[in-house]
Amino acid sequence: MSEEATISKVWESIPVGDDLGTLDYVLTAQMVADYRRVVDNPHAAYPTVAARHPANLFYRKYAAVMRVPNMGHDSEYHNPPVAGKRITISGRIADKYIRRGNTYLIVEATAVDEDGRLIEKSRLVGLAREVGMQAAHANIAKKWGT
Amino acid sequence: MMATQLKVGDRLQAVTHEVTEDKMVEFEKVVWDRGRNSHSDINVAKADGIQRTIASGQNQMAFLHEMMERNFGDAWVYGGKISARYIHPVYAGDHLTANGLVTEVAVVDGKPRVTLQIWCETQDGRKTSAGTASAGQPADARSWIDGGKQAAA
Repeated sequence: MSEEATISKVWESIPVGDDLGTLDYVLTAQMVADYRRVVDNPHAAYPTVAARHPANLFYRKYAAVMRVPNMGHDSEYHNPPVAGKRITISGRIADKYIRRGNTYLIVEATAVDEDGRLIEKSRLVGLAREVGMQAAHANIAKKWGT
Repeated sequence: MMATQLKVGDRLQAVTHEVTEDKMVEFEKVVWDRGRNSHSDINVAKADGIQRTIASGQNQMAFLHEMMERNFGDAWVYGGKISARYIHPVYAGDHLTANGLVTEVAVVDGKPRVTLQIWCETQDGRKTSAGTASAGQPADARSWIDGGKQAAA
């Protein structure tokens, strides 16, 4: 199959720089405790960050048409979040490319708390799959032998 | 006592955890519940062309974080960077170990900066993620835990 034949029209239509808007939530003490329990690390510093800030901003806008399974992550950490503080995340499409016939979207999110402290910046490396199309990572699964 | 200063070739203290089905499902709910997915539901996994549920890449990232926190303290938490790629799936029952190897110690913006190869591997030695991380030289302080009163473990 040619590389061109696998390119989704939806992926083509998403521009680099696309603004994914902002989203805010209060990081509660319960959320911190739940995260620390499930990862068996009672002192985890970045509870929701290991998290899915980029993905959640992306899906808020594109869930009906596109999936971005996480193939990698680039993050920088500045100040650990404090329970009880409101966190605002903002995001954008930072890049897009085709590699080995697969389409990727790089989704960037920045998190800042209510006091203006920069918490973290993360980039999700998403293997883009148009909803309703064959799962792009089915081919990768074959390579994995799953 | 001052934390050990790292040099090229040093290995970090590794971190190992067992990944269980229950933890995989709970992780999805705790981190940000978006409903059933290929990490928590076998039927969704199969629809995605995968025969078993696989642990979230963020689950691996959590173990890498713990390794960096334990080894670097505040030097990681305030200013750490990481870049990881998930290169093989992790399944329930895997015992996953996060590893780090110092590849460079340099002065960046007037401060020492330690760069590492980082990776996770299973009990069989199969790498499941790989990448790089960097932070300042290890610090004794764990100020996100106790306001800086607790020395390095």
